Amino acid sequence: MRSVCKAEAYGPELRACPSWNAFSSRAKGSKGWRPWLICPGGRLRIYSINANSRRMKGLERYRDVVADFDGMMEAIVRPLPVTARINTLKTDRDRLLFRLRVAKVPHRPFTWYPFGLKLDVEKPGNLIENLMGHIHVQEEISMASPIVLDPRPGERVLDLCAAPGSKTTQIAMMMENRGLLVANDPANTRVASLRSNCERAGAINVVVTRYDGRRFPAREFDRVLVDAPCTGQGMARKDIRVLDRWSLKRSLGLQRLQRALLKRATDLVKPGGTVVYSTCTFAPEENEAVVSWVLDQVPGVFLEDASIGGLEGSPGLLEWDGFRFGDEMERCVRYYPHQNDAGGFFVAKLIKE
Amino acid sequence: MSQSSLKNKSPFQPLDRAEVAGMMQSRFGIAPEAFESVSFYRRGRNVWAFSLPEIPDLGCESVGLRFMSVRGRVPKPTTTALQLFGRYATKNVVDLSSDRAEKFVAGEGQRLPAQVEDGYVVVTHRGDVIGCGQYLDGELISQIPKERRIGNDGACNGSSGGGCR
Repeated sequence: MRSVCKAEAYGPELRACPSWNAFSSRAKGSKGWRPWLICPGGRLRIYSINANSRRMKGLERYRDVVADFDGMMEAIVRPLPVTARINTLKTDRDRLLFRLRVAKVPHRPFTWYPFGLKLDVEKPGNLIENLMGHIHVQEEISMASPIVLDPRPGERVLDLCAAPGSKTTQIAMMMENRGLLVANDPANTRVASLRSNCERAGAINVVVTRYDGRRFPAREFDRVLVDAPCTGQGMARKDIRVLDRWSLKRSLGLQRLQRALLKRATDLVKPGGTVVYSTCTFAPEENEAVVSWVLDQVPGVFLEDASIGGLEGSPGLLEWDGFRFGDEMERCVRYYPHQNDAGGFFVAKLIKE
Repeated sequence: MSQSSLKNKSPFQPLDRAEVAGMMQSRFGIAPEAFESVSFYRRGRNVWAFSLPEIPDLGCESVGLRFMSVRGRVPKPTTTALQLFGRYATKNVVDLSSDRAEKFVAGEGQRLPAQVEDGYVVVTHRGDVIGCGQYLDGELISQIPKERRIGNDGACNGSSGGGCR
């Protein structure tokens, strides 16, 4: 099955975001990917990258805003560690860790999140614990936005750009399978993976919808997650070619969509409710610029600190390219690959008065 | 893209929880309390388990978890349903050794003596539910959906369709 990325789901002009399952299908199937990714030694997978190549120029623009930029560039050429989340809808942490110990699966829990695990296995998808739904293979940094969203059992929660459902199933787990979680994604092909992941996770509080997120019907939610389609520069460790696909034009094209999605989310959340906006890109055009535009457009919405204890991040940018976003942007968090040996990510937490 | 590929599908019909719980109790000895906070609906030949007593007023592609199929003569619980509720089963449970579990998740049938009635069974490994099996005349037939199997043929169910998201 051909995977469709989040950005593509909204129209051909927005093809840019590297969805994770797009990568996994590539890694499994097509030519020209594996040989380049995996060297004969197996474990030592290092990309050969010329720092002056065109792909690196899309990152060069961040040299002045990233502390230890060279460290970030070194991290980006290393493959991502294999990580997974313990699914407490089906097991509990001690029981799962015991299983892994008995089965001699090398693993190490995260320091910052009790349900995250680093796994030293080639194919985590082949573990019986994955089939049982006791673990969900998920990138470490992507576990951050549901934690910032902080959904509670019994609430009404909307995941506006849900497929393929890693964050959705994490939210369902945090809600202890109670209340209502609406998982929306417009693309038919991506909805299949979303449904499959929700079923495997054992989520019974999820309904899957297929609206265009910009025009999601008027309903009221306690919390809304907008994990927006983006240019995906933060996923470069999974597929370095995302950097080739980046251009300012793409970022600005996606910005229009991201603004509309986030604005709709602020309409859908009840007074006092929380909206979390996240992307997996570094481009300020798709991050702070989107958040600050929505704060300007929608009265009564303000930012709250989005940082997570134990997870190293940097504050959002206060200005970029001569444009001032405002001091409140420091409450957003940027995660760079070298900070936690993970992917790149951006998270903002908006509260509606 | 059209919002309502569902318009032509039949609606979800609410089912009596006691009726579904009763089926699970008689086959697997699962106490009805296990389903206390679950509502059941039927659409077509499937029963769905959902957290709320009412379906939200939205164009829903799916609602909760596909719980059992009522296509055949005997209702067949889904593997995902048993993975969630099978831990409460007190009968018709088959616990497999690691070798046998490997065969089971590959979709292979195997001859196996077991103190269970013929029909659908909860299959476990070290006490954790793997999924649904069918026990018939001394043979255990795997009911793990094909796309979820972990095969010897190199087929891999991948990284669950997505790492990051």
